[in-house]
Amino acid sequence: MTLTAILFATLALVGITMVATRVIGRNAGWLAAAVLAGLAYAVGLRIPEILEDSGSGSKTVTETNPWIPSLDISLGLRLDGLSALFLIIVLGVGALVMAYSARYMSERNVHPHTGYFAWMLLFAFAMTGLVLANDLVLLFIFWELTTLCSFFLINRSGDKASAPAVRTLLVTGMGGLALLFAVVMIVVRTGTTVVSEALSHSVWSEDAGFTAGIAVLVALAAMTKSAQFPFHMWLPDAMVAPTPVSAYLHAAAMVKAGIYLMMLFSPALGGTVVWQSILITTGLITALLGAIFAMRNFDLKEIMAYSTVSQLGLIVALIGVGTPTALATAALYTLAHALFKSSLFMVVGIVDRQAGTRDIRLLHGLWRLMPVTFVTTLLAGLSMAGVFPLLGFVSKEYLLGQMLTAGEAAWVGIALTAVAVFASSTTFAYTGRILFGAFSSYRGTNRDPDPENTQRQRKDIREAKPLFVGSAFLPALIGLILGPAIAFLHPIMGAAGSAASGQAYAASFKFFGGFTIEFALSLTIIGLGVLAISQRRRLDTFFEGRILNFTAIDVVEGIRLGLLSLGAKVGNPTRTDSPTQHLATPWFIVGLVAIAAVITIPSFSTPVLGGPWTDWLWLGLLVATVLPAVITKSRLVALILVGSAGFVVALWFFALGAIDVGVTQLLVELLTVVALVLILRRLPSVFHPVAKNRQVFTAAIAIGVGVLATAVTLVFTGGRDISAVGQYFLDEAYKDTGGTNVVNTILVDYRALDTFGELTVIAVAGIVLIGILRSRQMLSSRGADVSGFGNSSLARTADNTLPIRVIARWAAPVIILLSFHLFMRGHYEAGGGFIAALVGATGIALAYLGASEDRSAPVRWPYRGLLASGVIVAVLSGVWGYQVGSFLKPVRFDIALPWGGEYGFTSAMVFDLGVYLAVLAIIIAVINELGGVRPSENQPASQAGPVLVADRYAHFIDKAEAPSDVASESEKGGSL
Amino acid sequence: MSLALSIGLLAAAGVFLVLQRGMIRIILGFVLLTHAVNLLIIAAGGVGRRDAPFIGGDTSMAADPLPQAFVLTAIVIAFAITVVLATLAVVGKGDDDTEADSSLELSDPEDSASEKSGDLK
Repeated sequence: MTLTAILFATLALVGITMVATRVIGRNAGWLAAAVLAGLAYAVGLRIPEILEDSGSGSKTVTETNPWIPSLDISLGLRLDGLSALFLIIVLGVGALVMAYSARYMSERNVHPHTGYFAWMLLFAFAMTGLVLANDLVLLFIFWELTTLCSFFLINRSGDKASAPAVRTLLVTGMGGLALLFAVVMIVVRTGTTVVSEALSHSVWSEDAGFTAGIAVLVALAAMTKSAQFPFHMWLPDAMVAPTPVSAYLHAAAMVKAGIYLMMLFSPALGGTVVWQSILITTGLITALLGAIFAMRNFDLKEIMAYSTVSQLGLIVALIGVGTPTALATAALYTLAHALFKSSLFMVVGIVDRQAGTRDIRLLHGLWRLMPVTFVTTLLAGLSMAGVFPLLGFVSKEYLLGQMLTAGEAAWVGIALTAVAVFASSTTFAYTGRILFGAFSSYRGTNRDPDPENTQRQRKDIREAKPLFVGSAFLPALIGLILGPAIAFLHPIMGAAGSAASGQAYAASFKFFGGFTIEFALSLTIIGLGVLAISQRRRLDTFFEGRILNFTAIDVVEGIRLGLLSLGAKVGNPTRTDSPTQHLATPWFIVGLVAIAAVITIPSFSTPVLGGPWTDWLWLGLLVATVLPAVITKSRLVALILVGSAGFVVALWFFALGAIDVGVTQLLVELLTVVALVLILRRLPSVFHPVAKNRQVFTAAIAIGVGVLATAVTLVFTGGRDISAVGQYFLDEAYKDTGGTNVVNTILVDYRALDTFGELTVIAVAGIVLIGILRSRQMLSSRGADVSGFGNSSLARTADNTLPIRVIARWAAPVIILLSFHLFMRGHYEAGGGFIAALVGATGIALAYLGASEDRSAPVRWPYRGLLASGVIVAVLSGVWGYQVGSFLKPVRFDIALPWGGEYGFTSAMVFDLGVYLAVLAIIIAVINELGGVRPSENQPASQAGPVLVADRYAHFIDKAEAPSDVASESEKGGSL
Repeated sequence: MSLALSIGLLAAAGVFLVLQRGMIRIILGFVLLTHAVNLLIIAAGGVGRRDAPFIGGDTSMAADPLPQAFVLTAIVIAFAITVVLATLAVVGKGDDDTEADSSLELSDPEDSASEKSGDLK
C-alpha cells in the first residue's frame, strides 16, 4: 500500500465505522480493529524497503502529493525507521483498543457510540498523519488535530468532563502554539517546508542561537503533549474519559506524539546544551514526581495515569541523552510502554466493569475470581517494573546503561542513574501496589473509602468474557515474547535509532547482558521495590499527608480564571446594548488612521480645486437636502430628504461619467425609500428625543469625520490620471469580451467572481430577512390618521390609490419591456443585470403601492425560489466557463439569426441573468415581507412571545391532531 | 473641491445620524455613509476625465471604469444591508429604540458592563 493510501484509509475508516455503528452497534469496533490491524500489517510489509542492506542506517520512502503549490506546501509523506515504528504502534494499539471497545462499550445505550468511534478513529488518522508527515505545515496541522481529538474525546464523557477537557486543550494548545512558532521560524530560515530537508539544513550547526530557540519551542510543544513537568497535570486530569480513550491516549496516541516530535527533531537539535538540559531535567523530575504521585492514589486508573507520566519522563530523559543507542533505547522503551500500558489500562477497564469499582481499598481477592485478568496484569505490570524476562526488562537495562554513560563528567552519569534507579524502584513499588491492591486481600490504610464507589461495587464478580479480556491479554503476551526474541526487533530499532540520531546505527540489544553494573542496578531496583512493597502500610500512611497544599490543577485553574477575568476586564467596555458606543469607536480609530496617513505619506498629488460650475450646484443641492435631514424630528421628512440626497448623489455620478452607476443609484434610492416607507408606518412619527449634550458631542465627532473625509479626498485623489488597469480595460475590453459597455464587461467578464460574491450577499440578505421575520413578530402597523379628510376619497384607500393603479396598468408592460431591453443591451450600452432588475422591481413596487390593501398586493411570485435560482444560474454559468478554462470564464459564440446576420452570444449573459433574478427576488421579498403581505402580521406585537411558542408547538400538534390556525397560516405565508 | 466637500458633508451627516438614537436614524446615517464612500471611490479614479466609459467613440477622456464597477457592486450590497437593518428596526418591542433605558445620556460604560458581566455569571 502507498503511504497516501494508508493515510486516507484511516480517514475513510472514520466514516465507514460511523455508518457501521448505526447498523451493528458496538460491534463496529471489530470492523475498525480488523482494518487498523490490516493497515499495521501493510506498514510492516513495507519495512524491508527502509532497511539498509548492510543492517545499519535507515532509508526513507517518500511520497509527495500536491496540496497548496502556491505556498510550496505539499501533502508530503515519509516512512523511515522512526515513523514506521510509531505507525505500527499507533495502528496496532489502535486495533487492540478498537477490539476492546467492541466489548467495553455499553450494549444497550448505543446512541453515543457513533461519536466515540468517530473521534477515536479520527485520532488514529491524526496520529498516522503526524508520524508520516514530511511537511512541516502538515506536521503542525496533524499535531493540532490530535489536540482537538483529545479535547472532544474527553469533553464528550459526561458533565464533569468539561473542565478537564478545557484544561487539556489549554495546556496542549499552548504547546501547539509553540510548535507553530517553531515551524514558521524554521520555514523562514531554511526556506523549505519539507521536514527532511529542513532538518538537514546547515543552519542548525551554523546559528547556535536559532537552534537553541527552536529547541526551547519544540521541547515546550512536546512536553505539553507528553505531559512532562510542569505540564503533567492534564493527563491524570483527563481520566474522566472512558477507559479505552485513556488506553489509547496513554499507550499510543497523544503522549506518544510528543515523544515522536522530540525524536524527529533529534538530528537537528540533539547535542545542544539547551535541548539536553531541558529534556534530561524535566524528564527525570517528571519520572520521580509521577512515580510518587502513583504511590499516593487509590484509584487504579489514576495510578496508571501517573505511571504514564513517570514512564514518559524516563523516555524524555533518554531522548535528551541523545546518543544513537539512547535514542534506539527510547524507541524500544516506547514500544515496551505501548504494550504494557495499553494492556494495563484495558485491565483497569475490565476490573471496573466486572467489579463495579476501581478503588484498591474496595477491591480484594480478585486473583481467584478473575485469574486471566490477574495473569494479564501480572505480565504487563512486571514488564513495567522491568523484571526479567519481559521486554520492559531489556529496555530498562539499556536505559540505566545510557544514564550511566551520559554527560562528560562521571558524577553527571551517577546522579542521573541514581534518580532513574529511585524512579524505577518506585515504579516497582506501585506495580506491587496495583497487583496487591486489586488482586490480593490488601486494603491499604484505614482511610474511609469513597462511599459513592461502595454503592457501585458489585457482589457477584466474575471473570470477563474471553473476547473482552483477550484484547488486554494480547499486548501483555507480546511483551513476554519480545523479551527473549529481542533480536527480532533489531532491524526496526536500528532504523529508528538511525533516523532519530541522523547517523548510521545498528541495534544490538542483548536479552541478557551478563552480570554487569546495569544488572546489579536492576537487582537493586527489585530489592528496593520489594522492600517498599513489604512496608506498604507505612508508606501509605506516609503518603497520605499532602506534600504541597496546592495541586498543579489548582495552578492551571488559577491561570485560566485569571485570564478569563482579565479578558472580561478588557472586553467590558464593548459589552453594551447601546449601538452608539459600538458605532462611535470606529470613527475615532478611522480618524486616527486618517490623521496618521496624512502626516506620514511623504508626497501626495496636488489637490484639484477647480471644476465645472455645475459641481457647485450638486454640492448646493446636497447641502439643501442633507442638513435638514439631520435636523428634522419627523421620520417621514428625514426619509424623504435622505432619499433626495441619494438622487443628488446619482446626479454626481452622472456628472462624473458613471452612467451605469448613476442609473443604479437612482433606482436603488427609489427602492430604499419604498422599503423604508413600508416600515415607517409601524413606527412612531417622530424620532426619539436626544439630550443636548449628546447632540453636541456626536456633532463634534461627525464634523471631525467630515473635515477629515474632505481632506483625505483632496489629498489622495487630487490630480491623478486614469489607473493602468482602467486604461487596460478601455483598450482591451472589446477585444476580450465583445462588449462595449466597459463597466458591464468588468462586472460580468473580468471580475465576475466579485460579482458572484455580491450576488451571494444579496441572496444571504434575503434569507436573513425572511428568517428574521419568520421567527420574530413585526410591530403592528400604526395606521395613518385620515380622519381629517372626512368622507372624501382621500380617506378610502381603494379610491386613494386609483391614480397609481391607472398608471400601473399601462406602465407595467412598458416597464417589463424596458427591463428586458436594458438586460439585453447591457453588454454594449448602459444597462445590464442590475439595472434591468431594478427597473423591473420598480414595476413591482408600483403594483404594490397601487394595491388597495396589503393582502391584495398582487406580486405573489416565489421569491425564495427566485433568490436561489439566481445563485444557481450564476453557478451554472460559472461551471460552463469551467469547461473551457476557469470558473465563470465567459463562453462566446455566434448564433445565426433566421432573418440573416448573427447574434454574438456570451455566457456572461447567463451570469447576468443570475444577477437579474437575485436582485429582482430580494426586492419582491422586501416588498412582500416588510409590506406585511403575509397574513399573520395582524396579531398584536405584545403577544409575540406566546404566539411564537404556540406556533412551534402547533407544528407538532398539527401532525398528530387537528390543524392549528397559526400553523396553517404560517404555512401559507411560507408558500407565497 | 466641491466633490471633496460633498463627501465630507455626507460623511459628517452620516456619522451624526448613526450616533443618534433609534434604528431609523442609524439606517439613514448608514445610507448617507455609503454615498460618501461610493463617491470617494469614484473620486479615487480621478475627476478630470468625465466621459462615460463606452467603447466606440473617443475614449481619451473616458472616466476610469474600474471604480465604477466597484461602486455599482457596492450600491447593491448596501441596499441588501439596508433592508436587513430595516427588518431589524420593526421586530423589536414597541418601536425602533436602540437604547435600553429612558435616560437620554450616553450610557455609562461602567454600569452597562457590570450589568452584563452579572448576566454572564
